[in-house]
Amino acid sequence: MRKGVLEFCILSIIKEGEAYPSDIIEKMKAANLNILEGTLYPLLTRLKNAELLSYRWEESTSGPPRKYFTLTEKGAGFYKELETTWYELANAVRALTNDGQENINNNNFNN
Amino acid sequence: MKQVININFQGRVVPIEVTAFELLKNYTESLNRHFANEEGKEEIINDIESRIGELFQERITKGATCITDDDVNAIIKNMGTPEEFETMDDSQAQPSSASSAKQEQTSSNTSATGHKRLFRDENDKVLGGVCSGLANYFNIDVVIARIIFVVLLFSGVGFLTYIIMWIAVPSSATTQIGGARKKLFRDPDEKLLAGVCSGIGNYFGINAWIPRVLFLLPFLSFISRWGHWGGLWDFGDVVRFTFSPTSLIVYIILWIVIPEATTTSEKLEMKGEKVDMNSIKASVMEEMKGVGKKASSFGKEASAVVTEKANMVAGDVKNFSRRNRGGLGNVIAMIAKIFAYFIIGCVGFALVMALFGLAVASIGLFPLKDFLIGGDYQNALAWGTLVFFIAVPIIGIITWIIRKIARSKSNGRMLGFSFGAMWVIGWICFICLIASISQEFRYSSKNLAEQEIMLTNPMADKLEITAKSPLDKYNHRRFIKFEPFEGIQEDTAFVNNIDVRIVKAVNDSFKVTIIKTATGRSRTIAESNAARIQYSGVQKDSVLLMDKGIGINKTDKFRNQRVVLTIYVPVGKRIKVDKSISWFNNVHFGSNWDNNDWYYDSEDNYDDWETGHEYIMKADGHLYSLNGKPAGKAGHTKVTINENGIEVITNDNNSDDNYRYNNGEPVKKTDSIKLKLEEKQRIKDSLFQKAKEKIEKELGKNQEGSRPSDMSTGIPGINPMADVI
Repeated sequence: MRKGVLEFCILSIIKEGEAYPSDIIEKMKAANLNILEGTLYPLLTRLKNAELLSYRWEESTSGPPRKYFTLTEKGAGFYKELETTWYELANAVRALTNDGQENINNNNFNN
Repeated sequence: MKQVININFQGRVVPIEVTAFELLKNYTESLNRHFANEEGKEEIINDIESRIGELFQERITKGATCITDDDVNAIIKNMGTPEEFETMDDSQAQPSSASSAKQEQTSSNTSATGHKRLFRDENDKVLGGVCSGLANYFNIDVVIARIIFVVLLFSGVGFLTYIIMWIAVPSSATTQIGGARKKLFRDPDEKLLAGVCSGIGNYFGINAWIPRVLFLLPFLSFISRWGHWGGLWDFGDVVRFTFSPTSLIVYIILWIVIPEATTTSEKLEMKGEKVDMNSIKASVMEEMKGVGKKASSFGKEASAVVTEKANMVAGDVKNFSRRNRGGLGNVIAMIAKIFAYFIIGCVGFALVMALFGLAVASIGLFPLKDFLIGGDYQNALAWGTLVFFIAVPIIGIITWIIRKIARSKSNGRMLGFSFGAMWVIGWICFICLIASISQEFRYSSKNLAEQEIMLTNPMADKLEITAKSPLDKYNHRRFIKFEPFEGIQEDTAFVNNIDVRIVKAVNDSFKVTIIKTATGRSRTIAESNAARIQYSGVQKDSVLLMDKGIGINKTDKFRNQRVVLTIYVPVGKRIKVDKSISWFNNVHFGSNWDNNDWYYDSEDNYDDWETGHEYIMKADGHLYSLNGKPAGKAGHTKVTINENGIEVITNDNNSDDNYRYNNGEPVKKTDSIKLKLEEKQRIKDSLFQKAKEKIEKELGKNQEGSRPSDMSTGIPGINPMADVI
């Protein structure tokens, strides 16, 4: 997937509230975006190392302690940038595909 | 039946089949391998294992007695194998991949023989990575290499060397396969003339305006001519293109030689971006936007460009047809552009030069500052004027130019306002300075006592007055007097404000006197300033050698010091005045309000004469040249009062200005007054007569009419007509 899109999705999930990794995966699955845990964990770590996320440990009786991630201020800013990039890309693709669609339609009508 | 072992997994005891454990071990090892270079790999792996541990716990709590192969496999499928992990591309994990990239670089930078090759390091560059590459090659520190280059820069060699290396030495980016390659193209999208400077800017990664300025600079290189004026400016060899057909030729050569970047991939190469689908798409998008802008400004070009773009987006065909784009229209547009930019440039340039000139003048006059300005208040004002009035606009304009070139978007308005405010302060300082200085010249001394200069031989036949010393040579033809004073010796300036009068002596010996005047803040100060004037002379045979001028030093400032040198010449003796005595055009500040009113009174008592000519004093008190002609020449009016009346002659030979009273027969003075009185009486009489006639006429008219207008008031003793007289 194009770089940045995954980060964008992850950050938007975390933006809504603190989340832990498997939670994130669940939500992504719900949005029809399948991501492997092995992909997610490194990503989260990188984001945390870049100071875009912070986490806290929460002990749990039913398993090992969990990391709950939250968005930092820097992360919020980065999120905005990602959002802008995403919309630009979306518009570009939409413009192209729409034009393509129209051309096809026109041709069909002409024929 | 399988063996089950207990493992300590993430702080918990987990029963797990041996075979399952093997699978788990393999998995974690593969994870380790996958994340080997990743920063924070321990944390990542820990997180993954932690998640696995969670899943184990789930199994156990659900009722399984131990973890089986199937469980582990399911978990692995869930997590994903390392091969399935999303491989993010270059941008991810900057630190680690950068270091690995660097390793690749250095390894690729050594050729097969293992010998190091010289490359430019694009990753660690200030300008072009030349010094980094060199440092890498020689295994010295980058900073040292840069310092060496800066030192070389000053010798002139370094600059050219650097540019050559920048172009010639290949960039390290080219060795990476698929890496961005930069080629020198002309940029057709961002061009003023032919895109040469834009292309150069793109290649070097600098703003296009920088090479533009560099190309234009030699056109304005009569700056280097300034070097002759005062040695103030010396740009060195870099700008020494004299009148620069050179730079024009270079530009045209580049125009011809450098290919234009027409296709999208060429444009990407020009900018040094990776040529792949994404970047092509991105740049096409950008160009789409650009097309819209251009259509609104250049009509012809727009239509050509739009058709171009359409072709390019379709698939980069028909390259050749595009190269022959409408000749004449473009040429005319180009010429118009050249003129417009040139004129704007010249106007702005002239403005800046005027300010520079002002600054230079004030700097040039600086040594004279102390002769004029005294006291802390005035000094402060002088500095204030220099800084705020003169320096600020120069700095402001230079800043504006630089910011336009660099297209910086910082607080333009604030900056403009603050510069404007400082300039206003400069005006205020300037005005205060002028006011303050003019105060110094308000009052002039009134002490007109003549001080005699002792002559060793007053009975000489002739006297020659000069101020030249045999060694000095004066050049009076200075038009712009940067050193308005006759000479500055160390800390004394000599002012030649000397007025010379030649008068007939009462006896038969020469006499020379001086009258000193000066101005000052108050009358007493003026008097003391006058008294402090040092001016005298020494006679040797028939030459009277006066001082070079009035010496002004830094304690006695220049305060309109003037000396009136009166030479009493006995009848029959000769006199000659050398022009070195005085400027004869006085340097003074201020108008003549309070000044020399006494002076003009006496001006009509002596003649005009020329310097360098010898005259002889005759009994009538006038100077005559040796062949008998009376002295009298240009300068001011000559007024003579004698038996003939009053005669005023100006030298223009403009007879309109010359006028005489009572021309003709000599009349004695007293008689003329009587005549005047009689004349006046006659005028009165005639007036009275006319008035009387008029009244009689009125009366005559009215007698026919209603009632007589009686001119008499009817009051005895008062005759209205009496007042007329």
